[in-house]
Amino acid sequence: MSGFVSHFTVLDGGIVGFYLLATMVAGIMVRKYVGGVEDFLVAGREMNVYLGIASLAATEFGIVTCMYSSQAGYKYGFAGAFPGIVNFLAMLVVGWTGFCVKPLRDSNVITIPELLDKRFGPRVRWATGVVIVLGGLLNMGVFLRVGGQFLISVTGLEAINLGTGVLEHYKLEIMMTVLLVGVATYTVLGGMLSVLVTDFLQFVVMSAGLLIVTVMILWQIGWTKLVGTVDEHFGAAGFNPLLNPKLGWDFVVFNMFLNTASVLTWQTAIARVLAAKDTDTGRNVYTRTSFFFLCRWIIPVLWGIAALSMFPGLTGPEETLQAMPRFLSTFLPMGIMGILVAAMLAADMSTDSSYMLTWGGVIYNDVLAPFRRGQRWSERKGLFWNRSIVAMIGVFLLFYGLWYPLKGDLWSYLAVTGSIYLASISTLLIACCYWSRANNWGATAAICVGALIPVSFLVAEQLPLTKDLAKSIGPNYAGIAAYLFTGLAMVVGSLLKPQSAPQQEESLPC
Amino acid sequence: MLKHWFWFSATMLVVIWYSSITIYVAIRGAADIKHMLRNLAQGQERKREQNGSTPS
Repeated sequence: MSGFVSHFTVLDGGIVGFYLLATMVAGIMVRKYVGGVEDFLVAGREMNVYLGIASLAATEFGIVTCMYSSQAGYKYGFAGAFPGIVNFLAMLVVGWTGFCVKPLRDSNVITIPELLDKRFGPRVRWATGVVIVLGGLLNMGVFLRVGGQFLISVTGLEAINLGTGVLEHYKLEIMMTVLLVGVATYTVLGGMLSVLVTDFLQFVVMSAGLLIVTVMILWQIGWTKLVGTVDEHFGAAGFNPLLNPKLGWDFVVFNMFLNTASVLTWQTAIARVLAAKDTDTGRNVYTRTSFFFLCRWIIPVLWGIAALSMFPGLTGPEETLQAMPRFLSTFLPMGIMGILVAAMLAADMSTDSSYMLTWGGVIYNDVLAPFRRGQRWSERKGLFWNRSIVAMIGVFLLFYGLWYPLKGDLWSYLAVTGSIYLASISTLLIACCYWSRANNWGATAAICVGALIPVSFLVAEQLPLTKDLAKSIGPNYAGIAAYLFTGLAMVVGSLLKPQSAPQQEESLPC
Repeated sequence: MLKHWFWFSATMLVVIWYSSITIYVAIRGAADIKHMLRNLAQGQERKREQNGSTPS
């Protein structure tokens, strides 16, 4: 694949520059509407359905999503899009029935741990806040790097010699810093309001780019060739995950757990339900966005298959990850390249801004809750802390993205880090809303077990002594174990607590 | 095409649905932003009036 020439030109640069300017101006302009912490974190709960759909879709599709999905398409064919089917069905059912999200929005909380506080007490709230932040930040830690790598590949900067100075040696670092500074500026100033308004613009630009590129691939490469490529490389296993020896039942079951849990508790998605003007609006945002979660898998998987048809035979994690951007950089003509880069920047900026704000919100609302107990912070002080936390998360992302060596699939890394909190928080949320016998003993046990299994797996993957063991277990079985044992821990812990013991918890409006 | 009808239908549905929803959400979402900002401005105005009329 060496020696490829990107079609990115000055015209494309102009399109990207115009898009960036428009987004920054819009994001910064709405900062004047931020009067307090609630405006900053949940946009004063004024979000309506269509803005919610645009924001949720833009947030949950970033460059990282595009990269791991296209990697799955390159490595497994259409079977790699299976998580999208489960994600779509889970979101549709949850939005339709209101399972967990209705009591959550009815309770008027800002975060899930705040709801758990009402049932399991402040210690559980603090612990869940820590686990959510830990899982969320580790998960998000690779976003900036992957985004930077994509942009360098697709614009052709990777192959261009910029001399012997700083620019040549630190291309990735400079790209990551530029991305971060752009996103952090409007997120720190305008919080959720800036995020919603820029998400809207980003949704439009991102969708236009995704659709144009997909139609071009279908038109120029053709459905027959795409299907033929999958058939040639994988046979029937390229269309059915159960027939693929690298996926199989464990992959299917783990993704069912993972996607259901993420729909219920992924803080960036839940933030849209909590920012909605009422419960029905929140549920409608989920129901009407659900099909997008299939789109966000199928579109990049098609791009990955198209890359396979042009660059077959790549095997390493880094090579398969870079196959799609390199394919696009040579496939797309001048002008369309600019639209694609603007679309991908839009996708990445909306994801990064929402994630920074959301995890920052949990740190302020729940992890710092004990420090605010007994004293009411002024709105000004609250805003200052929220903005500082978002800025600190940005610095963390920059350093973590540069230092953490990614092993294996990007999707597997995201799934395992996400499970650090998804397993425990989804168990706690379901028990909190629907199991009257659940208590703080069970909640504490579930948090510990839910975090311990994925963290142990991640550490074992990095240590020379245990990396073979981790490889033989695999991320799917580690993930399934996390969900099953967490549920078990909740049941056993809750049943072990004597019923006569004084109840700390209050009843919930569910 | 018929052999892999599931993935063919899913792909076509994705392209058609996503194109339509993008146009629809672009129009309705802009209206939502207008309403949201107007409500927030009115809320801030009310707060200022309350603070102004409260004896300190």
